[in-house]
Amino acid sequence: MPAYKLTYFNVRGRGELIRLLFAAGEIPYEDVRIESDNWPELKPKTPMGQVPILEVDGEVICQSMAIARFVAREAGLLGKTHLDQARADMLLDGGIDVGKLFEEMVMEKDASKKAEKKKEFGEKTLPPFLALYEGFAGDNGYFVGYSLTWSDIAFFNMMDFITAEFPSALDGYCNLTKVIKIVKRVPGIAKWLKERPITDN
Amino acid sequence: MAPKYKLTYFDVRSRGEPTRLIFAAAGVEYEDVRLTFEEWPPIKPTTPMGNLPILEVDGVTLSQSMSIARFVARETGLDGKNKLEKAQADAFVDELEEPLAAKLPVLLGFTTDEKEKEEKAKEVDQLIEEKLGKCEKLSGSNGYLVGNSLLWCDLVFYNIAYYIEVYKPGTLQNYPKLAKVYATVKANPRIAKWVAERPAGQYQYGV
Repeated sequence: MPAYKLTYFNVRGRGELIRLLFAAGEIPYEDVRIESDNWPELKPKTPMGQVPILEVDGEVICQSMAIARFVAREAGLLGKTHLDQARADMLLDGGIDVGKLFEEMVMEKDASKKAEKKKEFGEKTLPPFLALYEGFAGDNGYFVGYSLTWSDIAFFNMMDFITAEFPSALDGYCNLTKVIKIVKRVPGIAKWLKERPITDN
Repeated sequence: MAPKYKLTYFDVRSRGEPTRLIFAAAGVEYEDVRLTFEEWPPIKPTTPMGNLPILEVDGVTLSQSMSIARFVARETGLDGKNKLEKAQADAFVDELEEPLAAKLPVLLGFTTDEKEKEEKAKEVDQLIEEKLGKCEKLSGSNGYLVGNSLLWCDLVFYNIAYYIEVYKPGTLQNYPKLAKVYATVKANPRIAKWVAERPAGQYQYGV
């Protein structure tokens, strides 16, 4: 088995999907978490001056989604056919803009601007997205076909962040609630959720 | 017999062109549907996410331009020789597509207000320097971004570099490895044929 070493900050952020995928696949890896103070020294040594990076048997992969897709493949969670894989990709892509707006809201330092952004997100951005994705999720609790793919896990991860600010976001969405339940019960993920370091974001 | 794949987009390059380039490079036929803006509103609610491009294949409709491009790359064997190459190709695409592939065509083809142009140009200049700098560092030096054969990331790069060269000709001279990739793609006979024959598109610079 290759040696995997993930390097990222001590946050969930753009690294957590990767960690969840390793967990789901029950694939051992080194989960390196760097301090912000150490980052300037490490930065020029990374391919694109960013983390996360994944080292696999001496090769370095950068870009969080490229890494996540790589690990999803290793864990057998990419999708069975090219079409399944494309569907998983497309559902992930479709959530990125929403994720970005949520991130912008969370990072907003001005309190009144933040409140405004939160209201906008909760009332205008999130509901149509969830309504659309409720339609995409099968009533069996999977986004793609009849088995778990990384798109289910990515959705869980995104909602993990979002429900911290909007706890009742998924109320009334039966299919999406099922997706979350199934992901939480994947043995490797259940274990990881119990053991993972608790971080603000 | 109708082609297996049907791509629907507007009559522009922008987000549909990487997929068209991949089909061209692979020599695979497809239906290249180009909608006018008037034709779009009734079709919009029938698409998975209310946007274009979409790709129809085997009764399934895919959306999201890079998911579509990656799918066609996988189908045609242009996604990478092994899982490492696939990841490296993905990384280049991620770095190059957002937000540069969105902002540069808009600046070139759709921005007329002078002040807005100036502001957008500043942003785009910064992005170009940042993205090309990173990609130059990681690119192969043999005319391919990854490995030693043409992959979809080279075509995604070519599409954006084409806009960059329209916007500020000679930019690629500052990035020798990337300039080599650009030249490799340009010289590919199937790509050369497609570029010579492809529709000019509705907008300035055929964005």
